[in-house]
Amino acid sequence: MKRLASIGLAVFLALSGLLAGCTSSSAPQTTTEQPPAQTGGDTASSGEKVLTIASGNDIESFDIHNHNNTSTEAVHVNMFNYLVKKDRSQQIQPDLAVSWENTDPTTWRFKLREGVKFHNGDPFTAADVKFTLERAARDNTLLEYGNYKQIKEVKIIDDHTVDIITDGPQPVMLNRLSRLGSGMLPSKYIKEKGWDEFLNHPVGTGPYKFSEWKKADRLILVKNDDYFGDKPKWDKLIFRAIPEDSTRVAELLTGGVDLAVNIPPTDMQRIDDNQGTHTATGPTQRVMQLTLRMTAGTATADPKVREAIELSIDKQAIVDNLLGGGGTITRTRVTPGNFGADPDLYGKQLYDPERAKQLLAEAGHPGGLEITMSSPSGRYLKDKETAELIAAMLGEVGIKVKLEFLEWSKFNEKYKGKTFGEVFMIAYANSMFDASLAFDRIYSERAKGETDYNNPEVDKLLDEAETNMNPDERAEQYQKVQRIVAEDRPVIYLFQTNANFGVSDRINFEPRLDEMLFADEITLK
Amino acid sequence: MRQYIVKALLQFIPVMFLITLIVFSLMHVTGDPVSLMLSDTATDEDREILTKALGLDQPMHIQYLKFMGNLLQGDFGTSFRYNQPALPIVLERLPASFELAIAAMLVATVISIPLGIWSATKRNSILDVFVTGGAVLGKAMPSFWLGIMLILLFAVKWKTLPVSGHGSFKHLILPAITLGTGIAAEMTRLIRSSLLEILGQDYIRTARSKGLMEMLVIYKHAFRNSLIPVVTIMALQTSVLIGGTLITETIFSWPGMGQLIIQAVNTRDMAIVQAAVFVIALLVIISNLLADLLYRFLDPRIKYN
Amino acid sequence: MSASLETPAASVPMQQTNRRAGKLRRGVRSLLKSKTGTLGLLIIVAITFMAVFAGQLAPQDPAKQNVAQRLKPPMWLEGGKPDFPLGTDNLGRDILSRIIYGSQVSLLVGICSVIIAGLIGVFLGLVSGYFGGWIDMVIMRIVDAFLAIPNILFTLVILSVLGPGLVTLILVLGITNWTNYARIVRGEVLSIKERDFVRAARSVGARDARIIFTHILPNVVSSFIVISTLSVATTIILEASLSFLGLGIQPPTVSWGGMLSDGRDYVATSWWIATFPGLAITLTVLGIIFLGDWLRDVLDPRMKQNGK
Repeated sequence: MKRLASIGLAVFLALSGLLAGCTSSSAPQTTTEQPPAQTGGDTASSGEKVLTIASGNDIESFDIHNHNNTSTEAVHVNMFNYLVKKDRSQQIQPDLAVSWENTDPTTWRFKLREGVKFHNGDPFTAADVKFTLERAARDNTLLEYGNYKQIKEVKIIDDHTVDIITDGPQPVMLNRLSRLGSGMLPSKYIKEKGWDEFLNHPVGTGPYKFSEWKKADRLILVKNDDYFGDKPKWDKLIFRAIPEDSTRVAELLTGGVDLAVNIPPTDMQRIDDNQGTHTATGPTQRVMQLTLRMTAGTATADPKVREAIELSIDKQAIVDNLLGGGGTITRTRVTPGNFGADPDLYGKQLYDPERAKQLLAEAGHPGGLEITMSSPSGRYLKDKETAELIAAMLGEVGIKVKLEFLEWSKFNEKYKGKTFGEVFMIAYANSMFDASLAFDRIYSERAKGETDYNNPEVDKLLDEAETNMNPDERAEQYQKVQRIVAEDRPVIYLFQTNANFGVSDRINFEPRLDEMLFADEITLK
Repeated sequence: MRQYIVKALLQFIPVMFLITLIVFSLMHVTGDPVSLMLSDTATDEDREILTKALGLDQPMHIQYLKFMGNLLQGDFGTSFRYNQPALPIVLERLPASFELAIAAMLVATVISIPLGIWSATKRNSILDVFVTGGAVLGKAMPSFWLGIMLILLFAVKWKTLPVSGHGSFKHLILPAITLGTGIAAEMTRLIRSSLLEILGQDYIRTARSKGLMEMLVIYKHAFRNSLIPVVTIMALQTSVLIGGTLITETIFSWPGMGQLIIQAVNTRDMAIVQAAVFVIALLVIISNLLADLLYRFLDPRIKYN
Repeated sequence: MSASLETPAASVPMQQTNRRAGKLRRGVRSLLKSKTGTLGLLIIVAITFMAVFAGQLAPQDPAKQNVAQRLKPPMWLEGGKPDFPLGTDNLGRDILSRIIYGSQVSLLVGICSVIIAGLIGVFLGLVSGYFGGWIDMVIMRIVDAFLAIPNILFTLVILSVLGPGLVTLILVLGITNWTNYARIVRGEVLSIKERDFVRAARSVGARDARIIFTHILPNVVSSFIVISTLSVATTIILEASLSFLGLGIQPPTVSWGGMLSDGRDYVATSWWIATFPGLAITLTVLGIIFLGDWLRDVLDPRMKQNGK
């Protein structure tokens, strides 16, 4: 028996050795690209300039038309180019197109840059524009279909000229073409090698080209020496996916990464105090809001109740206490930097709890009332705490809030089914940088069942602005809508949230309003 | 022996069948798979098309047969997030999880075997109380908490180990300790009690009464025999070990199956969840089977019927 | 003839009662002898007391927010206030009061889910062990299938489909944790049913249900208690892990797991937010395991022999 036992032990050890062998045999291939832990994105011994960026999640995929994820786009912008791009002040600038004009209200003619090559050597031509845009415009299974279906056709005029024909006047066309889904794809490569090959070995025109993607771990891009623009500033970019906030912060503090996105407000001070790191913060396109049900019979159908709700919320206190000051209070969703923004409604709040109490009494609720408020939990920065704080503020004036926290997919189910109670909290972004998107759900047709807001004047203004090719007039129409909505309150806007970054002292980084991470805007100190 | 293996394999089939039933009911009876799979912008029309395409308008038993048919062909559905078949995505992540799990098991073994023996031989001593107490602490500490603390201490404060990621041996240490601690605690307790049982048996008492040195008794007789149940104990931890990777991998951004599952659950990528549950169940069953075989091989007292 | 046989069969339960009374007395004595067992019992009694009298014990309303007082350290540290003995969290809520109220949820989830799991597991274990044959086959294969899926994964998937919530959580933990009971009870039944008093009962034609519930069930109670105590501990930790993954108990209900998980953002800056609920969990689990170990020593006859 003793002998048997020792044989057993030997077998067991051999087995575990075997298993260890299996795993270690795959290890060399994973270690080659590994930068030394302590130096992270440092200029390692070879003198290579490496930039390491940590996000909360991995990129979704390289199918630029089938995701709606800002953080994925923030990586893609280093590999692909749009026809036109937004500069840091949101002005449209040439990129793959050098000039453009409206030959008629529904036709946009673009002159393409010559001599541009994809990473695989294929030249960039009009055929690629046609392929890229028509894919998004015709395949209704793609997530970006809704933002491109306005394109009826892309006509090739010659190798470096295209006409984009839209289904109606499109005042926001350039905004559409300077965002997610408009990165130009190599039509020849994809047609020859197939879509799967492209997804595994993506090819673009950008300053950095694909090197390796280890899912859920890191994406490595290397510089493209043949880039048509300025020479790329870095030799290598590493995008790491680190889902847990505290881990991401720890990586930054220890020098494992140069830039960490989505830093919890509570850790900002710590990063600033730490030697070798600092923080950067900047506004985003995201606005947190309460959507109110105006359906007849609900308490919030009464404009006085809705006003009382807005007056009882100290938005600034939320920003200061929960976001560490990282946000700006607002009464509109069209924040500065967006077309049609009304600066008078930005940076303001109407906090007046006494008046709120009075309004409630006038509305026939002197003893207070009870409403249900739903909030996602864990979806947005400090969403749970924000909802709890709002509930407490409403409680102060006598509005008892029944809080319902829903994990995102459950929240989404109710959102799609439009089955929320009086109030729900949600944040929206605006990747179009245009007021039109902000009022999508305000329009009576779309508001049905959700807010049940119906103001014919607003509908008329939105209809007109939708196709108005005169920018000044159009901006005025949207500003008018904002003022009406701020008074009608189908929605109470709370604050615009900031994006928080942790930055290594060895680099210069300024956040962009669109949250894109252009590596060449980040420089070594 | 061969008879036993055949029997074990025959049992394996109904178990896998039951697992398909469990997974099928998880996906189809408790929830609405269509709304789980649809994107945010889907319309009622899309819903109808998908319902038809998935065959969800058909009676339940037909649906189940189809589901089984697909599984038998290795088709676990398509991940809508990655737009690829789910099974290869899951398998691709397996090596990283294996690496972590084996390292954690080593940590657990290295801690638990000496401590287990030590505390069993000195039963009710102060040392025993400490070891038992320590084992309880190890079990009582939620692993996400331990992981965050280890990062704060070893990586941020003392800067001796990397924070997260996958690659070198150094990257493996903290996650392996995080995952291994809970298992070490459990194993220490189990080893202690199995050793106590052996120490109480007649032949050991005989050996003792013959005046053999205490250490020799423990080593020659008790320890070697207690190794047999240890093998089983280790195999039984497979399920706990795999379950633990869900949290450990998320904290240390370890690119394994655990993190994949958490993300799939969060995005409702049910094809991935489904495939992962199958792969895991298979792994657990196989490891238990192997342990059982080894156990029978080691201990001739067990009959094969 | 039948009358003479009935006597010994009927006297068995009585003997058992006597045996159990003796067991109890011996148990109390050994409890006091076991330091860890006593400690465990004290901890559990204290926490149960806390949960039952939360309303009277908590100095503040656990949901009351006070933004002006947020992130205050415990009272013995600089900047702490006696109003908030263990400090306040990120919304200015009193941590001590939240821990006191949190004990309710932790115990509720732990105990309720264990009862559900125990009922299912003990019943199936009894049936499986007693009848054997194909019933046993089927039940044990179901057990194998459940055991093959890690608990946390199982729970996570169901909660993600059904949505998190207190009742859902209890039910889910109940239906995923029954396998241990079934396996161990079945094992016990296999040996008990060969004992004389069961054979005797069967030979006089007692119905199966009667034999199971009056003769066998009382003999597996001790196993049930031992597994249960340990299960309560695992459940409390599992709830914390689920909170970490975002599928635990949702606010405004206070749970230790939720507090611990929320507090992890503040570990480096305001350590007390996560540390105290963490301590509460550790202490409770410690108490339960100590008590459970002692119970096993007392109730498990095999262990008792070894203890000699």
